[in-house]
Amino acid sequence: MKFLQIALGILTAIGGFVDIGDLVTNGLVGARYGMSLAWATVLGMIGIVLFAEMSGRVAAVTGRGTFDLVRERLGPRAGLANLIASFLVTALTFTAEIGGVALSLELATSVNYLLWVPLVGLLVWLVIWRVKFSLLENGAGLLGLALVVFGVALWKLHPDWGSLVHQAATAAKPPIENLPSYFYYAIALFGAAMTPYEVFFFSSGGVEEGWSKKDLMIERANVFIGFPLGALISLSIAACATIVLKPLGIQVDQLGQVGLPVAFALGKIGIAVALIGFIAATFGAALETGLSCGYSIAQYFGWQWGKFVKPREASRFHVSVLLTLLVAIGFVLTTTDPVKITEYSVVFSALALPLTYFPILVISNDPDYMGEKTNGRLMNGAATIFFIIITIASLAAIPLMIWTKAGQ
Amino acid sequence: MTNKPPGRVIDLDLHLLDRQVVDRDGKFVCKVDDLEFERGENGALYVAKILVGPRARAQRVGGRIGVWIRSIAERLATEPMPTIDIASVIEIGSDVKVAASRDELDVDPLEDWVRDHIVSRVPGSRHASK
Amino acid sequence: MRASDLIGREVVDARGAPLGVITDLRCIQDGPLRGTQASLRVDSVLVSRHHTGKLLGYDRRDQQGPWLFRVVVRRLHRHLQVIPWEDVTDEGPPLRVRR
Repeated sequence: MKFLQIALGILTAIGGFVDIGDLVTNGLVGARYGMSLAWATVLGMIGIVLFAEMSGRVAAVTGRGTFDLVRERLGPRAGLANLIASFLVTALTFTAEIGGVALSLELATSVNYLLWVPLVGLLVWLVIWRVKFSLLENGAGLLGLALVVFGVALWKLHPDWGSLVHQAATAAKPPIENLPSYFYYAIALFGAAMTPYEVFFFSSGGVEEGWSKKDLMIERANVFIGFPLGALISLSIAACATIVLKPLGIQVDQLGQVGLPVAFALGKIGIAVALIGFIAATFGAALETGLSCGYSIAQYFGWQWGKFVKPREASRFHVSVLLTLLVAIGFVLTTTDPVKITEYSVVFSALALPLTYFPILVISNDPDYMGEKTNGRLMNGAATIFFIIITIASLAAIPLMIWTKAGQ
Repeated sequence: MTNKPPGRVIDLDLHLLDRQVVDRDGKFVCKVDDLEFERGENGALYVAKILVGPRARAQRVGGRIGVWIRSIAERLATEPMPTIDIASVIEIGSDVKVAASRDELDVDPLEDWVRDHIVSRVPGSRHASK
Repeated sequence: MRASDLIGREVVDARGAPLGVITDLRCIQDGPLRGTQASLRVDSVLVSRHHTGKLLGYDRRDQQGPWLFRVVVRRLHRHLQVIPWEDVTDEGPPLRVRR
């Protein structure tokens, strides 16, 4: 029984790893830079593994969500600044995910994505209102496994594996591409893999599911096995784009192009599976970001939050989610290109990373909260190195964005 | 009886302020937004009440934003600042447990308002999605 | 008087020279019984040069965490003073102590 639980958790983590940010950024990067930025995805993956483990452990040991503890450690003033920044980034990501679901549905049905937006919004709200948390998580995660089709497509395309690995290992930037844009996209990949909402969601989700110290093993399995395998999907998406789109000089600016290699390799069935994956991944991420917007606000103010109580007992939490949803829908309906929204959301995610990760690092080391389950030496060493990396990425994000005009 | 053990040491900002207040059923009530003292003998200060809400928080946020929060909160407020008497507190740990239920404490008029005027009107609000 | 009135308040010595700001109020739970618990009595005032807040804790002997943090915490709080409440001559602002 425990084994099944662990397996389910891992599968859900794999399927849930990829969201619209990963889909778009990996496709775009693969088509333009080949595998030369694979290191950024791998680095981002290691980073999210470390921080998700810490925030999950904090939730299991303290029974508290991240933002709850952020205010406790930063105080109301710095905590408020942190909340505003984190909330805005998460809300932007929420907007991108909703756009992503709508785009995926447009690909599947040829009905314009704008017409899908209100329906998507309604569905997101309904699921958050009524569907049991674990069902919501596991459902979206398992369906998201359909994205493994990118790995299958990659196999079928008989790539020159040696060349792919060489590109990745030597970070061989294509000569015609300039360095600033190269690093700009490295930061974007980083932000796509290490989205701040993941930390809020993972820790609050742990509380929703009633994790305790006994569940630490499951939590660690999810993170240490599930996330890296999920990152493999991201790398497959990039590799497919490298093999199919790059030689043809196709620049990715639409979601459909990301799936083109799958059509190429596996035909109609491949496309159908990929679309299921797109819809599941983006819808799942929409649920997670929507909930995270609610979690962060409610936890700062101390309101009752969560799906583990009746909605009427967490009224402001649900209303916050609803209001954010309405704003997100409104934004998408302004016909701003959802792919562009996604591209900005990953860079802003990278920008906000140090804010969200620093408190986690502090709290997971505090014996007052963690008892004896504080970070070990190895974890601290790795986490500190990563903290320095994300600070550098965060500081470079805006200057590079301006310099390269968002990646030209 | 044994001698009274030395009292527990609590640093107010580190251990008490901004902690989550939890009611007797485990439900989240509010945060410790500020604390009020009362005078004892020889000018000693004792913690008397937990202060709750934006008016309490505004002074701790400080700066121009704090002033702003406070003026908005005071304009919208219909009742005096909600407080919880320190006597209700039964445990101070990683959170602050109180003896009463959330409804009895009644520190959150906004939550009640939102619940009664918005959330209750939507079907399914009484169902825990379990 | 509220905790937020005192925390952050400047502290000066008997001659008026600045000592820092109040960073925290150290209480001892040994006052008269209130409800089920002894009340919290303000026992001493933690004063530091900078108001760095509680993020990294204070002068913990068992400070854990990344080496970088421990170094930073030690530096920030090397001037931390713990002043008994009895030594406070005037609550101010600014807080005046018998030093």
